[in-house]
Amino acid sequence: MLKIKDLHVNVAGKEILKGLDLEINAGETHAIMGLNGAGKSTLANTIAGRDDYEVTKGTIEFMGQDMMEMEPHERVAAGLFLGFQYPVEIPGVSNLNFLRTALNSVRKLNGEDDMSAAEFMKLVREKATHLNMDPDMLKRFVNVGFSGGEKKRNEMVQMAVLNPKLAVLDETDSGLDIDALKTVAEGINVQRREDTAVLLITHYQRLLSYVQPDKVHVMIDGKIVKSGGKELALELEEKGYADVA
Amino acid sequence: MDDAVIQSYEKQAEALEGSVAGMDDLRAKAIKDFAAQGFPHVKAEDWRYSDLKTLRTKAFSPANHAGETPDIPKAFTDCAARFVFVNGRFSESRSDMGDLWQAASVRPLANHFMANPDRAAELVRGRDGVGMLNTALAKDGMVIAVPAGVEIDDPVEIIHIMTGADDCAAHSRHIVELGEGASVHIIERFIGDDSSYWTNSMLQARVTESAKLYHTRLQEEGANAIHTSKAYVNVGAGGQYHACNLSLGAKVGRFEAYVRLLSDESNATIDGVALAGTGQSHDTLTHISHTMPHTTSDQIFRTVADSRGKTSFQGKVTVDKDAQKVEADQSFKALVFDRTAEANAKPELEIFADDVKCSHGATVGDLDAKAIFYLTSRGIDPVTARQMLVEAFAAAALERIEIEPLRDALMARVGDWMAERKAKPIPENKSRVE
Ligand SMILES: Nc1ncnc2c1ncn2[C@@H]1O[C@H](COP(=O)(O)OP(=O)(O)O)[C@@H](O)[C@H]1O
Ligand SMILES: [Mg+2]
Repeated sequence: MLKIKDLHVNVAGKEILKGLDLEINAGETHAIMGLNGAGKSTLANTIAGRDDYEVTKGTIEFMGQDMMEMEPHERVAAGLFLGFQYPVEIPGVSNLNFLRTALNSVRKLNGEDDMSAAEFMKLVREKATHLNMDPDMLKRFVNVGFSGGEKKRNEMVQMAVLNPKLAVLDETDSGLDIDALKTVAEGINVQRREDTAVLLITHYQRLLSYVQPDKVHVMIDGKIVKSGGKELALELEEKGYADVA
Repeated sequence: MDDAVIQSYEKQAEALEGSVAGMDDLRAKAIKDFAAQGFPHVKAEDWRYSDLKTLRTKAFSPANHAGETPDIPKAFTDCAARFVFVNGRFSESRSDMGDLWQAASVRPLANHFMANPDRAAELVRGRDGVGMLNTALAKDGMVIAVPAGVEIDDPVEIIHIMTGADDCAAHSRHIVELGEGASVHIIERFIGDDSSYWTNSMLQARVTESAKLYHTRLQEEGANAIHTSKAYVNVGAGGQYHACNLSLGAKVGRFEAYVRLLSDESNATIDGVALAGTGQSHDTLTHISHTMPHTTSDQIFRTVADSRGKTSFQGKVTVDKDAQKVEADQSFKALVFDRTAEANAKPELEIFADDVKCSHGATVGDLDAKAIFYLTSRGIDPVTARQMLVEAFAAAALERIEIEPLRDALMARVGDWMAERKAKPIPENKSRVE
């Protein structure tokens, strides 16, 4: 589903990703772990197509298509979802308007008709309830005045509504209390199917006991230095990055 | 200024002698004052952002009645009356008198002073050449007087249409008088074709004790038009002037609001949005005088300038010496889409009382790149993303319009305007905030 080869990325003129390889197949859940500053968010944002992240070398292939040729919104239509480490506040735009515009944009790019207002409301209410989000928050401006946990939950509602093929979730577990963590983990697990894949980015082992990954990768200084099964996460927790890598 | 231009306007004023009962003396004085000072120059402090050189170099003739009947735009909502002015002339056949006349006194300017000619002296004369010329050349307008205690539920539309009016001008003067506790919502619309005309309009209003005047303006003049308009409003105790202006049209557009808060608890709420496309200039000047204690004012302006577009806002607030406990807020935010777009802000506070709360803020910038990425990362294309952000930005200055279909219509204008733009994020600009 996702094939990254020898990826080099510059941010503000400085090389952050320095030859990264990663391959994720349908049906798999991978986790990337690494200390702050390793380049995890840079990888996530590059996959999503942020234009100030300059790919200087390497390739990203998604669902058989060259991602470098696609604009961010086209990547979403092809089935990509990025859960932001720091979701953005958008004053003046309601969550509902945002979600509806997003969903219908994706449908349009895929040659489908708009979803009716009634059908949409039903879908969003169902997903919000599932993720323990107060339906009143849907009427509020996107992320404005939301707590850290509420923002992350809002990301999960967006993911559930858009129902992506590949979800890249950047530190979705940070800032959550244990109940919220369980809710979010359940939301992620629902998203795991034969035809989908999940890439979890985290620097704690915590989330991984609720969402068990098939593979764990250790990232240091812009490269994946070690890959293994889910036991690698526990090993990292015990011994620290320096010893494992 | 060109003498030929002045002479032409003198002739026009002369020709209007006797056209509006009671106005002859005022006209004569106004044209004399105009001849003495001409049109304001960009060097004049209040006019630094609007260049009237076209007006200084050629005289605009009185506009004739249009040959063909222009389309009258559909109303935004049910109206108590719709008054249509074509090329500056009141067109009774195109107007819809509705049932306003049952509740209020309504008459054209030309008849207004017939019964009481000395009231002509109450007309605002204008303190610059543009205003003086309006006084000297105004022949038509609507005079609406709402008696004490009467609240007109549905809005009253005044529609100004210009058509086939190359080098022609329309000087209209509207008068609104609200008795104690009365209220009315006036919607003014300005539309026109591509001819190179000049709209010079003035509305003067007296809002007495506990009365409310709502004034929503939609300036959608043709692409080659010059638009200058002024509102002069006096507000009595507990009264309110609540205005919102949306400027989209004309090559050079300017709206001025002069509001005097004359007694306790009177309030002025003036909001506005201006959208300047390539080559357009929108200028707004407000002057709110707090002459008495416990008066309040609140202004929210949002402007957007595309490449080589320009928006300007001058917001003057004066608080007289004994006007304690005054509250005055002013917020101006501008978006500029590239470095050739321009936004100017000049807040001016002149405060002579010591116990007041006055605030003002001004910012200029491009759309937030992070917000654009967030929206596009959810599948929304960049053009739509920018449109959503601009709509949200402008909404802050439109959301106080209480009539929902009217507010929605103005919001839709913002969306449509953005839909015509192209996405081009270049953050530099040559704007300044003083
Ligand atoms: N927009 C940016 N401008 C400049 N430097 C950046 C930017 N984004 C990330 N960096 C730098 O890139 C490196 C990797 O950051 P990041 O990808 O956020 O790491 P992680 O997510 O693993 O903590 C850090 O040194 C960070 O300072
Ligand atoms: Mg990060």
